[in-house]
Amino acid sequence: MKTDVKRWIKESRTKLKTTPLDAADLDQLETLMKEPRQLILYLTATSTNMRSGVVSWALYDSTKAHEPTLLSDESPYNNVLDAVADGWRVAQFPVINLYEYKDLENDYVGFEFILEKWR
Amino acid sequence: MAYIKPTMDDDAVMDFVANGYVVLEGVVDEAFNRRCSDAKPGPAKELVGSPDFIREVLLHPQIAGVVRSLLGKNFLVPTGGHHHLFKEPFTGQDWHSDGISGSGFELTELQCYYYPHDVNLEDGPTIILPGSHCRAVNRDAIAHYGNIVGQVPLVVKAGTVALTRYGIWHKAGPKLNYNRRSMIKFSYHRQSPPQRDWLIDSEDIPEYVDRPGFHYTSGVESYRDLRRQIHTWNWLCGMSDKESMAFDRWRPSYETGTRPVEEIVV
Repeated sequence: MKTDVKRWIKESRTKLKTTPLDAADLDQLETLMKEPRQLILYLTATSTNMRSGVVSWALYDSTKAHEPTLLSDESPYNNVLDAVADGWRVAQFPVINLYEYKDLENDYVGFEFILEKWR
Repeated sequence: MAYIKPTMDDDAVMDFVANGYVVLEGVVDEAFNRRCSDAKPGPAKELVGSPDFIREVLLHPQIAGVVRSLLGKNFLVPTGGHHHLFKEPFTGQDWHSDGISGSGFELTELQCYYYPHDVNLEDGPTIILPGSHCRAVNRDAIAHYGNIVGQVPLVVKAGTVALTRYGIWHKAGPKLNYNRRSMIKFSYHRQSPPQRDWLIDSEDIPEYVDRPGFHYTSGVESYRDLRRQIHTWNWLCGMSDKESMAFDRWRPSYETGTRPVEEIVV
């Protein structure tokens, strides 16, 4: 962010020699100064392997209002590795010790990878 | 005295054991759906306990026939219920199971959802997860799940009743419009010990026939599912825990060795 603002100042100084700054310039500065916000993507896979299939997903986007959207049957990614290739960073891998092995009892769905992006 | 005939056969009961629900599409009379369409939201003791509701819904031959099949003779009829009404657009509920989820093999309660209106996808249909009805989970720890492969939105015609094993994961789906989305929820309970007294062709109890696994299940979960289904089936057929253990398996039956080596002549 700092680099972008420095560049903006340098360009604005050049501009000011011939033209005054306007609202658009200030809007641009405001955008450059915004702190990036974190997007969280839960991908639940059928195993701890990042290539195993995704069976559940949920996106938590702090940059947008929480609006109703229709449900979907299609995962945004086939597996966790595809999401990583698309720029998502793994924030948390499934922690095996949290998956208490109860032998015969069913419990939660799959293995949870938590991914993040910054926007 | 109301005499209720069972309507399910072995195959249908096995399907219920695996999936945890049955949907009876459009079974309630249109005129009665209209009468329920303006019901007040919230507790619905008067409505559900009324003679008309008992006749038109609770003891409807198809609905009560499923209940009779799964909960046995002289089951307890609901004396109250709850009317869930959504009017405004909203993002939908979180996934949850009602009350405390159970992992046992028993089937002692059927929780039912009755829809007096048509429900379309944009109306915020109830979404259920087939096969989730016996998962021992903290209901508040599944609230962050979003879409799950195999989820089923109950997009249904007016007069539809879904009968579920209490504990199935469900939620009201995202609602994009201002249509009334009404659902009246009530439960039947078992009184009689389980026995195979639904529609049968023979007194011989058939072995549970494996159903396909659910797409959302991991390997170990699909083994657990199969084992649970076998023991639930056996429980419904009246077997004791000890008797049921004779059928205990979590792999396909063809993978289980059945020939003693001493019987084999080479």
